[in-house]
Amino acid sequence: MALALKEQLKSPGGILKFLVKYNTIFIFILLVVFSAIISDVFFTSVNLSNLLKQVSGIGIISIGMLIVILTGGIDLSVGSMVALLAVTFAILINLIILPLAILFTIAIGFSLGSVSGYLVAYQKMAPFVATLALMTIARGLGFIYSKGSPVTFKTAGGVFMSDFANNATLGIPNIAIVFFIIVIATMVMLRYNVFGRLIIAIGSNEEASRLSGIKVNKYKFLVYAISGALAAIAAIIVASRTNLGSPNMGMAWELDAIAAVVIGGASLNGGKGTAINTLMGVLILGLIGNILNLLNVPSYPQQVVKGAIIIFAVLLQRFESK
Amino acid sequence: MKNSENEYRLEMIGISKSFGVVSVLENVNLKVKPGEIHALLGENGAGKSTLVKILSGVHYKDAGKVFLNGKEINPKNTHEGQVLGISVVYQELSLVNDLSVAENIYLHKLGASKFWMNWKKITQDAQELIDSLGFKIDASAKVRSLSIVQKQVVEIAKALSEDTKILVLDEPTTVFDPTDTKKLFDNLFRLKEKGISIIYISHHLDEIFKIADTITVLRDGVDTGSMAVSETDTDGVIRLMIGRELKDLYPTRDITIGSTPIFEVKNLTAKDTFVHDVSFSVFPGEVLGIAGLGGSGRTETAKLIFGADKKKSGTLTLDGKEIKTKSPVDAAGFQIGFVSEDRKEEGVFLPLSIRRNISVTSFKSISGKFGFINIENEYEKVLGLIEKLNIKTLNSEVNVKNLSGGNQQKVALAKWLSIESKVIFIDEPTRGVDVGAKIEIYNLINEVAKKGVGVVVISSDMPEIMGISDRILVMHKGTVYGELQKEEFSEENILRYSIGKPLKQYN
Repeated sequence: MALALKEQLKSPGGILKFLVKYNTIFIFILLVVFSAIISDVFFTSVNLSNLLKQVSGIGIISIGMLIVILTGGIDLSVGSMVALLAVTFAILINLIILPLAILFTIAIGFSLGSVSGYLVAYQKMAPFVATLALMTIARGLGFIYSKGSPVTFKTAGGVFMSDFANNATLGIPNIAIVFFIIVIATMVMLRYNVFGRLIIAIGSNEEASRLSGIKVNKYKFLVYAISGALAAIAAIIVASRTNLGSPNMGMAWELDAIAAVVIGGASLNGGKGTAINTLMGVLILGLIGNILNLLNVPSYPQQVVKGAIIIFAVLLQRFESK
Repeated sequence: MKNSENEYRLEMIGISKSFGVVSVLENVNLKVKPGEIHALLGENGAGKSTLVKILSGVHYKDAGKVFLNGKEINPKNTHEGQVLGISVVYQELSLVNDLSVAENIYLHKLGASKFWMNWKKITQDAQELIDSLGFKIDASAKVRSLSIVQKQVVEIAKALSEDTKILVLDEPTTVFDPTDTKKLFDNLFRLKEKGISIIYISHHLDEIFKIADTITVLRDGVDTGSMAVSETDTDGVIRLMIGRELKDLYPTRDITIGSTPIFEVKNLTAKDTFVHDVSFSVFPGEVLGIAGLGGSGRTETAKLIFGADKKKSGTLTLDGKEIKTKSPVDAAGFQIGFVSEDRKEEGVFLPLSIRRNISVTSFKSISGKFGFINIENEYEKVLGLIEKLNIKTLNSEVNVKNLSGGNQQKVALAKWLSIESKVIFIDEPTRGVDVGAKIEIYNLINEVAKKGVGVVVISSDMPEIMGISDRILVMHKGTVYGELQKEEFSEENILRYSIGKPLKQYN
């Protein structure tokens, strides 16, 4: 890796190529500099830690989305899963001890993801369709189990989680630490682990993967299951922040997650994308929201700006492929 | 350019083109007369395709001039090229699978002047066009349902649906068996009589000497001159192509072949394809050729053994033990390798690096607990293979899509050489590969066999299969029709078995 990088910088036009290749990081840096200039409040620790807290939930499901997209699939169910699993966690935390509540919530997320995974990998259903179905099912179940209203934490375990979610360690919000750990773990997995290598291979050429003796179905199944488990972790985090689980949580988060992954340079055809770039995509989306809030821009124009940034980022990536 | 109208249909003069810093063409000239079949030759990466793409309007030249009938032309896109009468059949098929044959043939006319299309007439016209080429294809059939040979015919029909003045064929016969090739050649001669100029790109020199009038050879983006076919021979052309003397295309085989088979197939019958009752055995160190016409079930047989297609009955025996291969995963687990004929779709991972391509089959040996890869081991292994196979690349991190066809094929082979295979099936080992890389691939096959591996090579290229095999099976209508020993090898014998006829008896 380091060797390849050195060679690249030495080659003619290497610095420009380097800039284009790591464009997501440069967009991010540009936005940070721009934000710092335009607003005095931006570089305060309160604002930055708020920003990180806001993006952590979406960030975690974006990582799940990334590994699904790497195989050439898509997972539309994650937003609704966050709602259902947040409700589930709030119910469980009032019934059983905290570690079990966390464990069960993640297990349920994994199982729900497995349903999508089974439909896609073994029933050959289009990922868009299978996860669309799961999306409405999960949202519906969320409303059924919560009877349509938020479920609040009532036990000591709930207090502990709320404290954890709203505090920071060494100045970094705890939930952002959880997010970063997941990013780093995914980064390592994609680069140094067979699982990561194989899902990228599957996404870049499924037939060649099959003929190379790769268990294509198994890995396709697993990425959806993992995406479900990550949705559960995101759900636990967002529920803990607000001390409750609501069936309205995670509304349209799947779209933000897809946006973050795409801004991070991943290809929806699969086979291309990295965890660090997805992290950048998440931060870029969060930063735009943050700076527009600081500038008192209302939420509708914010959406327009977000859309424009997505287009700009993807256009910029086209230079890379040329 | 005063006289050009009389003499040349097409003149490309001083064409130069570079992509980024890489110069692909330098000051290349190509002149084609009306009614001439002009062969464009050169190794992979010599710039043939780029030159054609400049002519048709896919790429824009950096320097030089193109004259059509003495008038300078500068097509900016393929549509402009078509309107000028330049039709190209590219090496890669470019058909829309979900449209009918007729719709594909007239695809470029959709969106032209008229709003409504007369589908009935278009289907009729298309049918007539295909019939006139002498092939049997239903013009209303969906392209998806066609065989790869039929698809290639549709491509050619598509190119002829316009008022074509210059027809460019880029490796049109790679999927054709000898009968189809002959049909194609008959058509080309007819077109030639009509005064159409044909530019013919091929690696098959024997084809060139059968049909071409003139030859232009490109080497590393420079043309090494044009000559009439009558003025040269195969050796002369090869010398121009690779710039050196070619000693032996096929390596000498001095291998002791084992006496007990390493792999046996008995009465293998497919569930979903027409392959039935296939039986044969491969011995360690042996190169077994499988010949046959396109559509005789060669590839299907290999895929069946490899577990990519479903079996109905039959047994496989590896090293004396019966094995079951329900999926490629099983087959790979038993150390059976399979290199697909469709390199781009089924063989390599184009957007991934050489390293990631090669190591995809060998994680068992380079990863430790929990699947963590030992990157140093990986580099060592991959760099070793790159050197051994002489893959021409800057480093192991270059994406496979940036390699030439021959080097891509080596990567596809490397994937299976990196694990210790017991049997390897190689389907069309040198399709679309230049002469230099061919020799290297043959040597490689030889070397693999030397290690005691059973190598099964499927090939439509007759000189190739006779040159590298120790024994040849000929398939016909989904089963093994006959077997040829080395002393029986001849194009005639292979062909006779291919069409289901016994060998001639010489008394």
